[in-house]
Amino acid sequence: MEKVNYDVVVIGAGLAGLMASHEIASAGYSVAVISKVFPTRSHSSSAEGGIAAYIDGNSDPNDNPDYMAYDTIKGGDYLVDQDAAELLAYKSGEIVKILESWGTLFNRQPDGRIAVRYFGGQTYPRTRFVGDKTGMALLHTVYERTSGLGKVDFYFEWFAWELVRDESRVRGVVAFDMRNMIPVFFKARAVVIASGGMGMLYKHTTNSYINTGDGYAMALRAGVALKDPEFVQFHPTALYPSDILISEAARGEGGILRNNKGERFMARYAPKKLDLAPRDIASRAILTEVKEGRGFPGGYIGLDLTHLGEEYIKERLALAYEAAKAFAGIDATKEMIPVRPAQHYYMGGIDVNIEGRNPDIIGLFAAGEAACVSVHGANRLGSNSLLETLVFGRETGRAVVEFLKSYSEPSSDIDKEAEKAEQSAYDVVKRESGVHFGEVVNKLREVMWEDVGVFRNEDGMKNVVSEILKLREMAKDTYVLDKSNIYNTEFYNALEMKNMLDLALVIASTALNRKESRGAHYRLDYPKRDDENWLKHTIAYLRGNTVEITYKPVKITKWKPEERVY
Amino acid sequence: MSLQNEEAEVIIKVKRFSPEKGNWWQEYKLKVDRFTQFTEALRRIKTEQDPTLAYRAACHMAVCGSCGMKINGEPRLACKTLVLDMVKKYESNVITIEPMDYFRPIKDLIVDLDDFYQKMYKVKPRLYPNEQVLKGEAEHRLKPEDQRMLWKFAQCIWCGLCVSSCPSVRNDPEFLGPAAHAKGFRFLADPRDTITEEREKILLDSAWRCTYCYMCYNVCPRDVEPVTAIKKTRAYTKIAKVKTPVIETGEKHTEAVFNSIFESGKIEEAKVYLSTYGLIGSLRDMIFLLQSGKLKYALVKEKPVENITEVRRILRGE
Repeated sequence: MEKVNYDVVVIGAGLAGLMASHEIASAGYSVAVISKVFPTRSHSSSAEGGIAAYIDGNSDPNDNPDYMAYDTIKGGDYLVDQDAAELLAYKSGEIVKILESWGTLFNRQPDGRIAVRYFGGQTYPRTRFVGDKTGMALLHTVYERTSGLGKVDFYFEWFAWELVRDESRVRGVVAFDMRNMIPVFFKARAVVIASGGMGMLYKHTTNSYINTGDGYAMALRAGVALKDPEFVQFHPTALYPSDILISEAARGEGGILRNNKGERFMARYAPKKLDLAPRDIASRAILTEVKEGRGFPGGYIGLDLTHLGEEYIKERLALAYEAAKAFAGIDATKEMIPVRPAQHYYMGGIDVNIEGRNPDIIGLFAAGEAACVSVHGANRLGSNSLLETLVFGRETGRAVVEFLKSYSEPSSDIDKEAEKAEQSAYDVVKRESGVHFGEVVNKLREVMWEDVGVFRNEDGMKNVVSEILKLREMAKDTYVLDKSNIYNTEFYNALEMKNMLDLALVIASTALNRKESRGAHYRLDYPKRDDENWLKHTIAYLRGNTVEITYKPVKITKWKPEERVY
Repeated sequence: MSLQNEEAEVIIKVKRFSPEKGNWWQEYKLKVDRFTQFTEALRRIKTEQDPTLAYRAACHMAVCGSCGMKINGEPRLACKTLVLDMVKKYESNVITIEPMDYFRPIKDLIVDLDDFYQKMYKVKPRLYPNEQVLKGEAEHRLKPEDQRMLWKFAQCIWCGLCVSSCPSVRNDPEFLGPAAHAKGFRFLADPRDTITEEREKILLDSAWRCTYCYMCYNVCPRDVEPVTAIKKTRAYTKIAKVKTPVIETGEKHTEAVFNSIFESGKIEEAKVYLSTYGLIGSLRDMIFLLQSGKLKYALVKEKPVENITEVRRILRGE
């Protein structure tokens, strides 16, 4: 197998991966970025509504970063590490200013300063935005900037398959060039996993087709823990029936959720915050309305923008307007937009501290949605994910630089381990008959949606765990029909399927294990939050077909857990 | 809110390609409803019928630019196109899907976009801000109307559809292509940028190589209007310090068109040609016109329009 040497390999070319690469390359170290897609096609581009920031001198005069940290902690139902939330809030203004200076075309106030709007769960408005294509605007800016350094090697349309490690350290990554299926061992002193989320585990998701949870599974197979893997966010307003995200900006700008009687039903679920309640609460409210017969046939409710006026909708909520028009045939200036919840974000992820450092393997880092810094806890607030990718992408990059300064070369030979990792990918191409990846994946997405979704209970999840175990057995017979080396997407889909099955088992098992309701994890059989027994992080390892669960305390600095009402 | 669903069985014919087997057409039959996007149709084909079908797709909401292809011959994003819309438009349940034109096919609907990316990089697609701002010592302000104008051109998602359908790109290797021009202009016109002169050097010559055919305008899934960016870029010609022969010809052409309209209120092709390319150039090109039998059109003598004084008044800016 061919080998290349780098100081650092970054897996994923979305905002977190690029930001980390920017820091590392700027410090003079060599970086390879491996991505399944061309960088600007990463899922960061799909983020719509905005990036939260407290900007000194350009925020509500009553606001301060502590309020922002508090909102984040309360939004996350107190499963947030409070030092992480403080760091996120205190660095938010600086990060937005940096992005502005790199060219992001943030919407402006009449005096030329960056504009701001409300998002769910915010005490004061903090969301900065570029229309409702903020993620796309930021991703293009960071890619433009990072590629302009001329110091980062981009391996796009490459598939990272396994981490290579010795007893204690990460030693690199085995990846395939998707164009010709040639495997390469990327030897590295540090690895940053920034491979994004896992929405494709669910039948209904706003995520890209590429979000198959590769980074989580890669980490699990290398003996690394996931933190809080049971916490999956469902966005309340995905367009019915195509699951295209209608940004929370729609509610931030004054959109109202209405049932089939025209009632503003959020008044019953969040009397104060109404339609601006956090996502977990709004998602449950919508599905409750539908279940109790107040939804529309097919199972959705209406998002009403009509009172905002055509001009305002078309400028500030262009994508929502376009999406409703193009994909549901609805004119949002005249009619309500049909919406229902869909999987949207993964709070869980590779266990890291606020420097992005993983405690299981030396030299392994993670950032963005792939990581769990514990800044979102049990439920992420809107506009905090773009912020997280940039703030913690940068923090992680800096920590990697510090790590490299005191690095000493290991003496052991590691090439054999890399060969093993390469071979493990080839099972699927060696077989001549069996099942196709599609059969397994479609079934998996179905069961995850049914029983590890917005509402959960013991029986449902036990059933899912046994279904997943069956699918894992069935997947052993997966084979690839396409025998060509050239752009064999079927081969990579089969590898993605393996990743999805590893992650699904961990999610379902840990969700079954947590016997309380907190944030996005809502159990019909344990509907109350239970701080006495469950104010702690889940730490989960995958050993074969067994999920090993331990716990870590939640870091509390200033804010004692209280009841979460909106 | 009235969602009208319908269902139909369609036949999707995909033009497939592999280096080993060459080209062939393959048919897939599937049931779709009113809301089925082509990306979803392709996903279902791949997971339920034929795992070997190769295509690119990611966001399914027209912001990542992965899924450019030709659907019934139209350059489109698969995600932004509903199957039944095409069935209705063409009054046929049989739909063809092919890879984008111009780019080299690699496998089925996947094409080689390296040429596209190289063109994008040529325009230095990034802001070069003032050092003080980079250091955090100063802050940019931007007028809301400037933000709005720039954002229009900054919404390019690098899908390649405009380049795939651009005749100038095909015929003129020096032309940067519509997408690169949209990107280039977005920075050229950004008041926060500091390398205007260098950008003019990169963009101006190429801008005069566009034929204004408007294909890019028609196919852009984000309504970026690359051709408008090219027009606006040409407006920098007057203040540009360095001019190439292509730019000079362009300027002469603009002036000739102006003069022709000033004189007659119409475009007199022969005169415009003569003023733009000079006597020798015109005589040389006339041979081609003679050969193709089009010379008579070039030599039509236009009578001035009736209210020519009114036209002149407008052109004088009165």
